[in-house]
Amino acid sequence: MAALNLNTVRSTIEGRLKTELDSSPAIPVVFHNMPYTPTPGTSWCQCSVGFSSSEYLTMGDSSSSSNNLTGLVSISIYSAKGVGPGDNLTIGKRVRDLYNRITVSGVHFDPPIGPEVMAAPQPEGYFLTQVRCTFEVFEDL
Amino acid sequence: MAFYRGEEGSVKFDDAGSSAAAITSTRSWTMTVEKEALESTALGATYRANVGGLISGSGSVELLYTASSGDETNVFIEAANTATDAGGALFELYLDTSGSKKISFDGVITGASYTASVGEVEVVTCNFVTNGAITLDI
Repeated sequence: MAALNLNTVRSTIEGRLKTELDSSPAIPVVFHNMPYTPTPGTSWCQCSVGFSSSEYLTMGDSSSSSNNLTGLVSISIYSAKGVGPGDNLTIGKRVRDLYNRITVSGVHFDPPIGPEVMAAPQPEGYFLTQVRCTFEVFEDL
Repeated sequence: MAFYRGEEGSVKFDDAGSSAAAITSTRSWTMTVEKEALESTALGATYRANVGGLISGSGSVELLYTASSGDETNVFIEAANTATDAGGALFELYLDTSGSKKISFDGVITGASYTASVGEVEVVTCNFVTNGAITLDI
């Protein structure tokens, strides 16, 4: 029993995405707070993992008790502009299937949102969609 | 002034009525102690009179399902489905983490509600009534 290791949770979520997008056809993926210079006209993804609220699950003090912690993983999918959404949604399906109602290493993923078309992508010159998925982790103290 | 929060509470139970063990993953408990009111109004009186009668208690414990087995938590959530019950199970409901503030009594688990709902943790709620004396160490 120990407080939750946030990097373990992050690693679980990011590792799952990295493994999938490294497989053929490989899509470059960049994670939160990392530099990346995209190649114009090619597809790539950006992933960010955020933690939000914690709540009491059970009685007990700082030992012999449990909390839940919720969070959100957002995957932005950039693809070539002006050629329709097909390529983007193909990647979106791969991403969505990775997390859809799946429990892995104690991380429980809810049904995903998206791929949702996003306006005004940054950097410009891409067609951008986003898949978002809330998750829940149980913390045993 | 000392106040207490719900997470300081806990529940212990022993179906054999001797040495209570902690019920794991308890989320909440409630306990109501009631005394019957027996009317003793004299004929012709203007105001109604009452005296205290029999005392009883009832309540519930809500816990998260953890698939525990071979312990009192498992016995607790299955107790409502036992064929015979002499009412000798020991309940201890704690109000603080020091273990000095508690309500203890023998009782019977009268019902259990098992709940599974999509997107939520699974919950078991057990209802009980007291059997005999209720000790308030609060």
